[in-house]
Amino acid sequence: MNGNSGNQTDWKQHGFRCGLEIHHQIHTEKKLFCHCPAGKYSDHYDAEVLRHMRPTLSELGEYDGTALMEFKTKKEIIYRLNRETVCTYEMDDTPPFLINEEAIDIALTIAQAFNCKIVGELHIIRKQYLDGSIPGGFQRTAIVGVDGEFPLSNGKMIHVIQLGLEEDSCREVSDNGHRIVFMADRLSMPLIEVVTECQMETPEEAQEAAMRISRMLRATQMVRRGAGAGRQDVNVSIEGTTRVEIKGVPAISRIAELTDYEAHRQRGLVALSEELQKRGFTPGEKPGRVVELDLNGLRFNNPDLAAAVQVRDSVRVAVFPDAKGILSWPLYGRRFADDISGQVRVVACLDMLPNLLHTDGPSGGLDEADTAMIEKLTDAGAEDVAVVVWGPEEDTVTATNEIIDRYAQAIAGVPNETRQALNNNWNDFERVLPGPDRMYPDTDSPPHEIAPERVEAAKEKVPVAPWVREEMYREQKLPEDIVDLLPITAYAPLHDKLVSEKTVDPMRSGELLARMMTALQRREYPVEALSLDQLEDLLRAMGAGRVYREGLFDLLQHWVDHPQLSLDEMLEHLEWTRVDDTELTAVVKEAIDLAKGEGPRLPENVFAMAMGHAMDIVRGRVASSVVREKMTEMLGL
Amino acid sequence: MNETTFEIKATGSVVEGVTLPDLDPAEDYKGYRGYSRAVLEATGARVWCEVKATTDQGDFVGILLPRSETADDKHLVMKLTYNGYNVGIKSESIQHIEVLGYRKANYKIPEKEFPKDPVKPNVILLGTGGTIASRLDYRTGAVIPAFSPGELYGAVPELADIANMNTKKIFGEFSENIGPMHWKKVAEAVAAEIETGNVNGVVVGHGTDTMHYTAAALTFMVQNLPCPVVVVGSQRSSDRPSSDAAFNLLRAVKTAAEGDFGEVMVCMYGPTSDSYGLLHRGTRVRKMHSSYRSTFRTLSDTPIARVSQDGFVPIKEEDAFIHRDMSRKPVLNTAFEEKVTLLWYYPNMQADIVDAMVDAGYKGIVIAGTGLGHVNRPLFPALRRAVKAGVHIFMTVQTLWGYVQMYVYDTGRDIMEIGVTPLANMLPEVAYVKLGWVLGQTQEPAEVRRMMTTPVNGEITEREPFDGYLVFQGGLPELEDYFKYHQV
Ligand SMILES: [Zn+2]
Repeated sequence: MNGNSGNQTDWKQHGFRCGLEIHHQIHTEKKLFCHCPAGKYSDHYDAEVLRHMRPTLSELGEYDGTALMEFKTKKEIIYRLNRETVCTYEMDDTPPFLINEEAIDIALTIAQAFNCKIVGELHIIRKQYLDGSIPGGFQRTAIVGVDGEFPLSNGKMIHVIQLGLEEDSCREVSDNGHRIVFMADRLSMPLIEVVTECQMETPEEAQEAAMRISRMLRATQMVRRGAGAGRQDVNVSIEGTTRVEIKGVPAISRIAELTDYEAHRQRGLVALSEELQKRGFTPGEKPGRVVELDLNGLRFNNPDLAAAVQVRDSVRVAVFPDAKGILSWPLYGRRFADDISGQVRVVACLDMLPNLLHTDGPSGGLDEADTAMIEKLTDAGAEDVAVVVWGPEEDTVTATNEIIDRYAQAIAGVPNETRQALNNNWNDFERVLPGPDRMYPDTDSPPHEIAPERVEAAKEKVPVAPWVREEMYREQKLPEDIVDLLPITAYAPLHDKLVSEKTVDPMRSGELLARMMTALQRREYPVEALSLDQLEDLLRAMGAGRVYREGLFDLLQHWVDHPQLSLDEMLEHLEWTRVDDTELTAVVKEAIDLAKGEGPRLPENVFAMAMGHAMDIVRGRVASSVVREKMTEMLGL
Repeated sequence: MNETTFEIKATGSVVEGVTLPDLDPAEDYKGYRGYSRAVLEATGARVWCEVKATTDQGDFVGILLPRSETADDKHLVMKLTYNGYNVGIKSESIQHIEVLGYRKANYKIPEKEFPKDPVKPNVILLGTGGTIASRLDYRTGAVIPAFSPGELYGAVPELADIANMNTKKIFGEFSENIGPMHWKKVAEAVAAEIETGNVNGVVVGHGTDTMHYTAAALTFMVQNLPCPVVVVGSQRSSDRPSSDAAFNLLRAVKTAAEGDFGEVMVCMYGPTSDSYGLLHRGTRVRKMHSSYRSTFRTLSDTPIARVSQDGFVPIKEEDAFIHRDMSRKPVLNTAFEEKVTLLWYYPNMQADIVDAMVDAGYKGIVIAGTGLGHVNRPLFPALRRAVKAGVHIFMTVQTLWGYVQMYVYDTGRDIMEIGVTPLANMLPEVAYVKLGWVLGQTQEPAEVRRMMTTPVNGEITEREPFDGYLVFQGGLPELEDYFKYHQV
């Protein structure tokens, strides 16, 4: 269905353009504009607050039509508050406190990691959101840096338009009909936002750029880890369309597929617009009329409509002239009717799917009898198409208005909008795209000067770009998993230093610092407890032949639990002293006896079993190659 | 003007076809001084110009914004064209400014005619300066008040479903600047509007900080009301989507239009949720939180009723508030003696504070005493001297809730013997307003005492209900249960 099999479209030919907005939570102790703890989540809540979002008057002093309509269909917004993680600031009942300085320092480092120029003065501004995800109705955000860049592997430089510092929104718990529920704990946690120019010319470039940004962020060690800490929005356009934003892309590895789908959808909409114009409709025109059905005595075969008649819902029909083939117009695996359905779901709060049926072919969900009856009741002609919605009176009025608006937009082409990424690479309407006039100064916050010394101090903390280190590590002949992991760990500088001093073999260092430390971390060992100095001691000891790799994992497991011990104390604690030749001979002899006593028939089995017994005793203190040599000699092989 | 001269290396230019109006330094360099101002002068750029600023940090394209007067002289503020963000650009880093265009801010709200419906009640909105409805200037963040009926209709169209609205601006003052002169003007306007016979209710728009003083003053100055007089404001200005302004205004207008009340009330949020507003008696209400939207609370009593779009839910018994009676004629009395003060007692307060007031010619002092109404003994001689000098002294409690009771301890009895009169459960601020109003009418001690201790409308109550000490009055589950109980 998805049609992604032949991924051979030459997107450069179709003017594919993609830009990225990468958001990532940064690691601060407290939130951005209040003193609540950052990074604490829980599903427990102590209170609920009810709010509504009312559109504000625009610069021209008028309400945006869609926004006011949305308000009239009234979404009840519920915020769940946890005593520990939310105060009156997040609930918009206390003005902001002064901005978190720790967050500014982190943002200054990250901005410079992308070679951005730092603004002289930070101005907090408000970005309006009516979806309820922020109780005030706007997000506080500021630009820290502008005009940066980073390279792709093909050498192309990607322009970073801006680096912003902003507060995070609420976590959505549920969204049913007229009631949306949010958990407020995440609200106001500091985020950075990296915005690139729409410069990526293929889905693959888009994915690589996102990956590079994300890896650079992780390499700073200043961002939060885990699910939900990073979020990606991608802007996609093709020749003849303006940008559509896809929000909430769940993983960077999905960006290529998602942008590919969106570009195909836009091609479908461009073709649809051409078809509509060929039929004589002109942009700006609003074809279509609305009929309310009198349900008395009606019997539908379609179960949804039958149920609607039963519960005396309102049923409304939008009738479009000369529209055969339009509603069922294919959009790369979906149809135009699906685009309309998404908009009805959001704006009219009709969220039980299907939320509309139509008479344009079998994909419309109506059989012949239902189609004939609806056509008769609405005076629809042979070339007309009827779109049916049902539900509460007010919602069906909103829905039919919305259907007519969306249909009219199709004549012009692809509407500017924000769409939500879905699980199957498809996407669905979320909201009309807000323009730059939805930004205005935050009169509650003073401008904040950024001193040059502070900018310099932050620059010191910029890590070597992961893609630079990746090249270096490939030259060191490190395996790809280490090439991938090591550059985004805090240990990369230590590795670089010891390798360049030739103190330690790159492979041994990479294994320890990337593989083992990551493995321990994934098993939730407190690896941060070990300082870089301690790890340096360990690597030097390995370089000097005092500690061998065979025992490293054991050693580290113990050491993270006793980080107050020095390496020597730790080795003593584990009774790891050097093994001289006399001791080794004794150990190997004992091991051979033990193995033979277990009765293996083949000599090579004796060898393997005896090696195991011997290594149990001397692991980490003697290189296995030395033991192997001694074993070979003593077994006379 | 710039006293120091700066050596400015930055240059300027204007693209062809752009002409700037005559220079008006006050507006065109608004908020800029020192070095930044010199950069503007040298480059020819002005506030509201769209410019391309070339700096050693790269180019910035955007509109040059006015700068806050209190901000430093080292930065220019620009709203960037491509994304709408504001940034501050170091003036020293500027090499060249090219003026690309000029567009002055437009501070007008387009009016739409307020629809009139002869069967709907008429409500007059009197403006004093609080911003209830407004629109936002997206470039400066300035809030532009919507006030005329046409502007109001443009901002809150749902008002037309409730009433026919008229508006009158009495004055435009921030809440903290409002005083007795303003109270008089509002009282006169309220009485005059009611006397026209054309209004079913009056709404007074007011900043929230001193709203409760004005509500008390109106209660004393315009008595015998035939209809509701509702004082309303907003805690979150209406430029934000989550503002309480529209809800407050709609509820206040509904109360004025349809409510069965004949007294001065404050109408503001009950809980912080958008669920309902509370109607507070003008003499028992107080702002209790600096920023919460549900900041107004009735003290030592319950609010009169809840109000929402769906209607009114009385909290008080039917006979415990004044009902609408359009046959009543308002009685206006705006006398006010301004030499009255409010003294918040604290431990170890020195006698010279009281002496200073007497010497400055104050005629009345309201003390907010500790506990049941106490001050320390070292103050006694000063109080005695004040009473002898003819100063009228009254006692209230700084606990805010509860009664003055000066018989329980010797201290209290001694203070009364000096001539300080207890004011039962009158709120200190209300007592201050009332004393000014009473002393405006008489200075005769017995009459002053009689008037002060005889309530006009609830500033002293004979009984405090068991639920008069509900600090939050809604918004918490146990209190919601309480209100549910009263709803039945
Ligand atoms: Zn907080």
